Amino acid sequence: MSTQKDPDDEATDAETGTDYESLLGDAYLGDDEFVNGDGVVVRADAVADVVQTLRDEAGYDHLSAVTAQQYEDRYESIYHLKRYDDPTDRVNVVVPTAASDPRSQSAANVFRTADWHEREAYDLVGVNYEDHPDLRRILLPETWQGHPMSRDYNQTKPQIVTLESHRNPLEAHHQEEESDTMFLNIGPHHPATHGVLHLETVLDGEQVADVEPDIGYLHRCEEQMAEHGTYRYQIMPYPDRWDYASAGILNEWAYARAAEELADIEVPEYAQVMRTMSAELCRIAAHTLAVGTFALDIYGDFTAIFMYAMRDREVIQKILEELTGQRMMFNYFRLGGVVWDLPEPRDEFFELTRDFLEELPERLEEYHDLISSNEIFQLRCVDTGVLPADVAKDYGVTGPVARASGIDYDLRRDDPYGYYDQLDWDVVTDDGADNYSRLLVRLQEVEESAKIIEQCLDLLEDWPEDDRTIQSNVPRTLKPEADKEVYSAVEAAKGELGIYIRADGTDKPGRFKIRSPCFSNLQSLPEMAEGEYVPDLVAALGSLDIILGEVDR
Amino acid sequence: MATFTDTIASTFGLEGPGGVFIAGFIGAAIIGTVLLLFSAVAGPWAKRKITAAFTDRIAVNRVGPFGLLIIVADAVRLMSKELVIPEGADRPAFDLAPALLAASALLGFAVIPMGSLFGVNLQLADPETGLVYVFAVSSIATIALVMGGYASANKYSLLGGLRAVAQNIAYEIPLVLTAASVVLFTGTLQLSEIVAQQTEPLLSVAGVTIPAWFAFVNPFAFVLFLAANMAEVGRNPFDIPEAPTEIVAGYQTEYSSIYFVLFYLGEFLHIFLGGAIAATVFLGGPAGPVLPGFIWFTIKIWAFFLLTQWARSAIPRVRIDQLIEIGWKGMLVLSFANLILTAVIVGAFL
Repeated sequence: MSTQKDPDDEATDAETGTDYESLLGDAYLGDDEFVNGDGVVVRADAVADVVQTLRDEAGYDHLSAVTAQQYEDRYESIYHLKRYDDPTDRVNVVVPTAASDPRSQSAANVFRTADWHEREAYDLVGVNYEDHPDLRRILLPETWQGHPMSRDYNQTKPQIVTLESHRNPLEAHHQEEESDTMFLNIGPHHPATHGVLHLETVLDGEQVADVEPDIGYLHRCEEQMAEHGTYRYQIMPYPDRWDYASAGILNEWAYARAAEELADIEVPEYAQVMRTMSAELCRIAAHTLAVGTFALDIYGDFTAIFMYAMRDREVIQKILEELTGQRMMFNYFRLGGVVWDLPEPRDEFFELTRDFLEELPERLEEYHDLISSNEIFQLRCVDTGVLPADVAKDYGVTGPVARASGIDYDLRRDDPYGYYDQLDWDVVTDDGADNYSRLLVRLQEVEESAKIIEQCLDLLEDWPEDDRTIQSNVPRTLKPEADKEVYSAVEAAKGELGIYIRADGTDKPGRFKIRSPCFSNLQSLPEMAEGEYVPDLVAALGSLDIILGEVDR
Repeated sequence: MATFTDTIASTFGLEGPGGVFIAGFIGAAIIGTVLLLFSAVAGPWAKRKITAAFTDRIAVNRVGPFGLLIIVADAVRLMSKELVIPEGADRPAFDLAPALLAASALLGFAVIPMGSLFGVNLQLADPETGLVYVFAVSSIATIALVMGGYASANKYSLLGGLRAVAQNIAYEIPLVLTAASVVLFTGTLQLSEIVAQQTEPLLSVAGVTIPAWFAFVNPFAFVLFLAANMAEVGRNPFDIPEAPTEIVAGYQTEYSSIYFVLFYLGEFLHIFLGGAIAATVFLGGPAGPVLPGFIWFTIKIWAFFLLTQWARSAIPRVRIDQLIEIGWKGMLVLSFANLILTAVIVGAFL
C-alpha cells in the first residue's frame, strides 16, 4: 500500500498501488485507468464487501462520492474512495451493471454517506441499489417519471403531475391516536433554513425525536448543463452558481483543477498566486457570511453581529469586484490560469486589500467579544449539535465541520494545489465537535486565509514585470481522449468540492459529476439534532453552513 | 392629590357616580391616546432608528425629516393589507386574542401615577391595591398569547403559545416577589404612596442629594426586577415565545393586517407598561429635577424601551429549557432570598 505523497506525478499511485486482486478475491474483475488514482472494477453483487475490505484493511475510510453513468452497453457506478489521513491515495471502485436491468449492491450499510449518494444516482441515472435502506428519489419530486440522466430518457415527456396525485407530504407521518409526538414541517419556507430546505421533523414536546432533510427544491441540473458546455469556455461560469454565497472562485477552482488534470494543462506560477489569493478572499467572504448567519440563528434576529459580518463581507466583495469585475458570479478562472491580471493601477488594489487585512484582526476581536465570549452564546452552543469524529467520517463530512470534529483534513495541505504548499499557514482543528467549535474553526480560518492573502500580496508586488503570465497556452478547442476519467477535488468554503469528468472524445464532457461538500455535510444533520431541542436543531443546521444551491446543484 | 378623573370631574362640574364614570372615560381616552402615540407611532420608528444605530446602519431617512413620515406610510401599509384568517382557526378566540393583549397593557396604565403636567396630576385612579392590580391585568397578556397560539390552528403558533405560558409563569413569580420586597419598605400597595415615599433624600454627597428611590435602596431587587421584566415582555434574551428562526413567529405566525398591528401594538404597550412599573416602583415614578413630572416619567419608560432594544441587538436568545431553568432555579430562589432579607432588615432596623 502506497503512502508516498507525490503531488507532482499523481498518476504514479496507479503503478505503486495495492494488489487489489488478492485483496478483493473473486469480487475483482480488473483494473480501470484513472488520471490520478487507482481504478478497480468489481462485481455488482459484492460492492458492500469490497468497500468494507477497502475501508477496514486498506484504510480507505472516506467515500467522497458515488458517480453513476450510463454507457451504450452498461450502467456504471463509481465509488470514489480516499483516505482522511492522505487524500492523495485514491481508489475508484467501478461497478458495471447490465444495461437492461441495472442492479447493484448498495454500500450504504458500510458508509452512511453512500445512502444519499446512491439515492441521487438512482434518481438521476436509474441504477437500482439492492439492500439500500431507503431507495427513493432525492433531488427530483417523488412523482417524477423516468431518470433524466439515462440515455433513453424522453426529454419531451411532460412532467406535470396534477395536484390530486401529488403525494401528501404528511401522509406517512399522520398522527396516530395514541402518539404523543407531533410532526412538524420546518421549511421549505422558514426563517432558519438558509434557502429552500425542508426538514421533516417529529417533535416530542420541544425535543426533536426524528428529523429528515428533504432536499431538491433548488435542483437546477447543474451537472447536465455542464455536460452541454465546452471545456474551454462554457462550463466555467456554472461553478459560481453552486455555492453562490461568495465562494464562487473556490468552486471555479474545482472545475479548473479537474479539467486541467484531465487535459494535462500547466498553470503558470504567477496565475497560481493570483488564484490562491482570490480563492482565499472568497473563503473569508464565505466564512464571514457563515458566522453572521449562524449568529442570526442563535440571536434570532438581524442583530448587530449579523450586520457586522455583512459589513466586513462587503469590503471583500468590493475587492473581488475590482479584481474580477463581478460581485458574486466571478467567472474569473480560465483553464490554464485566470482571465486577467490585477486591475491597474496595481498599487491601488494592493492598498485596498492591505487596508482590509490590517483592519481584520480588530474586526475579529469584535466578533469574539460579541459572540464567542458571550456567556449566553456559549450556553447555547457548547456541547450542542455534537458530531463525533468517527460519525463524521462515516458521513463523509469535510471542511470546517470535519475540522471542528477533530479530523485533520484539509485538501489545501494534504492534496496540494495552487500555491498553498509554498506559503506559511496552518490547518485549524478543534476537538469540541459541537456548534461552538464549528464557529471557532471558521473564525480562525479567516485569520489563516488572511495570512495566505498577505503572503500572496507580497509575492505579487515583487513579481518581475516581464514574467506575469496569467494564462498558459491552451488550445481553443479542448478534446481530451475518449474514456479518460478523473476525479479531483479542492478545499472549497464548505469542504471537499470534487469533480468527476469522463471525456468522450468531444469538446464536451461525457459525464460531469459534482461532489458537493454541503450535500454530505447536511446528511449528518439528524446525528447532530436528534434528541436535542428545536433551537439546537436550528443551531446545528446553521453551524453546518449549507448552501442549498450546492446541495441541490 | 386629586386623580386625573377627579380633576376632570371638577373642571366640568360632573357629579355623582355617572359623572365620575364620564370623567374617567374622558381621562382614559386622553391617556390612551398618549400611550398609543408612544407605542404605535413613535415606537416602531424609534425601534428602527435604535436598532440601526446598534447595527451600523442608517434606517429610514427618506420620507420626511429623519424618516418620521414613514410612520404614516407604515400605518397605511399595515392597515391596507388583507386580513387572512386560516382555515380551521377557532374564530372568537382568534379574533379576541390581539385585542385582549393590547387591552391588558392599557388597563395597567389606569393606576400608574404618570406625574403632573401643568399642575394636572395624570393618574386615572389610585386604588389602595394598585400594585396588585397592575400585575393582575398585565398577566392577562399570557392568556391572549395562548389564545392566539391555540386558535391559529398552526403548530408553530401552538409551540409559541405554550412557550409563552411556560415563560410567563416562570417569571411572573420572581417579578411579583421582587415588587413585594418594595412593599415591605413602603407598607402599602397604593402606587401614589409608593412614589411619595421615594421622594425622601437617601443621602447627600457633595451637595448632590440622592433620593430614596428603591433602585438605590435595594439595587439587587432592581436588577432582579429588570431581568424578570425582560422575560415578562418577551424580549431578548427571553424572546422565545416569538423566536423567529426557530418557530417562525410563534403565536403571531398566522396573524396579518390589523390583527398583526394589534399584536405588535400590544407588545409595545407591554414594554412601556413594564417600564412604567419599573419606574414607579424603583425609580421614583415621575420624580426628577427641573422638568415636569410627566416628562421625567416619559424619559424613564423610554429608557426601559431603549434597554429592551439594546438587549435585542446584543444578546443571544436562551433555549426554552435553559430559560425555565434560569427562572425556577435561579430567579425564584434569588427573589425569595431578597424578600426574606428585606423582611429581616425592615423588621430589625426600621
